[in-house]
Amino acid sequence: MLKFDSVSHIFPDGTQAVKDVSLTISKGEFCVLLGPSGAGKSTLLNTVNGLVMPTGGVTELDSIAVTKHTLKEVRKRIGMIHQQLHLVPRLGVLHNVLSGLLPVTPTWKALIKLFPEGQQRKACRLLEEVELEEKQIYRRASELSGGQQQRVAIARAFINDPDVVLADEPVASLDPTVSRHVLTLLRNASRQRQTTVICSLHQVEFALEYADRIVALRQGSVVFDDMPTALTSERLQEIYGGDKGDLVGAPTEPTRITSDGIVEADDITKITRSAAE
Amino acid sequence: MATTDNSTRLPSESWELHRTITPKTIGILLVLSILLAFSAKNMELDKAADETWRAVTSVFGFGESKVLNGAGNFLTKAFPLQISTIQETNRIENFDRDNLPWFSYVEVREEKEYSVIEEKFTITQAEFLVKPVGYLVKVGVKMWETIEMAIWGTIFSVLLAIPLAICGARNYTPHNSIYEISRAICSFNRAMPELILALFFVLMYGFGPIAGIFALALHTSGFLGKFFADEIENADPGPQRALKATGANRLKALRYAVMPQVLPQYYAYIQYILERNIRTATVLGIVGAGGIGTELKGRWDLFDYDHVATILLAIFLTVVLLELVTQRLRKKAI
Repeated sequence: MLKFDSVSHIFPDGTQAVKDVSLTISKGEFCVLLGPSGAGKSTLLNTVNGLVMPTGGVTELDSIAVTKHTLKEVRKRIGMIHQQLHLVPRLGVLHNVLSGLLPVTPTWKALIKLFPEGQQRKACRLLEEVELEEKQIYRRASELSGGQQQRVAIARAFINDPDVVLADEPVASLDPTVSRHVLTLLRNASRQRQTTVICSLHQVEFALEYADRIVALRQGSVVFDDMPTALTSERLQEIYGGDKGDLVGAPTEPTRITSDGIVEADDITKITRSAAE
Repeated sequence: MATTDNSTRLPSESWELHRTITPKTIGILLVLSILLAFSAKNMELDKAADETWRAVTSVFGFGESKVLNGAGNFLTKAFPLQISTIQETNRIENFDRDNLPWFSYVEVREEKEYSVIEEKFTITQAEFLVKPVGYLVKVGVKMWETIEMAIWGTIFSVLLAIPLAICGARNYTPHNSIYEISRAICSFNRAMPELILALFFVLMYGFGPIAGIFALALHTSGFLGKFFADEIENADPGPQRALKATGANRLKALRYAVMPQVLPQYYAYIQYILERNIRTATVLGIVGAGGIGTELKGRWDLFDYDHVATILLAIFLTVVLLELVTQRLRKKAI
């Protein structure tokens, strides 16, 4: 069970990304986060595995609060699928999947890429499940198509039998057909294992199709939290504030500076625009 | 930006144009040429011009030239190239007439010797063992030794550079002070020329290739350490963050998210350093640090310019061959 207890986050530049969010997501639920860009979806997701430490409130995974001290333990139980894939381009597909097991692999074994056959078989099973083929497992991740890469990312997220999988706009860069395929695989994988999935999406129609529950954020606060069937067009208007419901990627996401000093933005135009200003 | 006021606009005829040559440029050129003139006097460039002019005129039969004499001296002695070795059989220990080394033969030659006491030439006959390509083989062996030196130098250099690079990469260094120290070591190693380092190592380890290997390794580890560290710093942070998010520690993230990304670039750097090391190793022998340079220096001091020419040819061929091989490899790596 995942619990957000009045989580708030203010970035160092003063942007309030998340405002007093309280949610409880039960085991095995496929929960979709909706909301316009800059609503705080990514930030909220990142509080679960401590990529973002909320400035207020606490996120709990099975009543373990996510803090600096519990981070190591918590992260082992979480799989993550990132927006820009974030596979290692020049690493083989199989080892990209196996890299999800790194936290539980002894360092010396990891350094010489020595994974037990059992783990390798498990990775193969997962790759089979996401419909990749034998001939692809030793190819470099960069040689695959975007959809295939995202499927590899799903396999990686599930390899350490996580309790929670966080998917940060997993289909943002894919076309609708491939997106459906990827989301179907993701949902099937989570159903089979009773894994909780929190998935942020831009496309409302996918949310309606795949979600058990939809949580919508607007300017950091929860404005909708219900079954997909309750999401009427009036409610959509509320969420997206008069814009069309299928609005994709309006460049309003705030530029963030992470603890590593990396500037992150969902849309490059935002960076260039703010630089120009 | 707000739009500028239109009322201040002037017609293009009265726009101010910048001159390309101003008194300032002329002044700078003047000062520069005065400085260069002083420096040229200091470097005795006037003497060089004089000597060169004399060399040119002496080609057409006017006067003598030191420059031309020097070059002529070398060239007349250098050709034909010396590729054989000759050894008096009496001086060879356990000389076995029935079991000569391969491709060699025994020849009787007359030797003229001038005796100062009797003031006349005495002609003695002596037997010599002639190896027709003996010197070529010797140079080949020495050249191979040089290449081996360079290979070991590169191996040690990489081994030194990897910890330096990890400690010298801002995002993976254990501590900021270690970062500074590691970067300082790299700079120092780069700043010390191989020949100077080789002198020190000859002092420590004695004459031979070990001194050369260590000199090469230490010097080039400065380059590799810096290049490797810069690559680690510039690697795409996305995959690293993804792995850290699953809970992988920094060492593992380095291995899985950074190494695959930087490896092709590392190959290119190592290849360049190896190439460079082979070129440098040929001269390290001049200070006694092994390789073909020792032979070169010895022959040069004995005025055996025909031998020197053979060695130079061997070095030239090696470098050309190396260029060809590395070009091929580089194409493959990309």
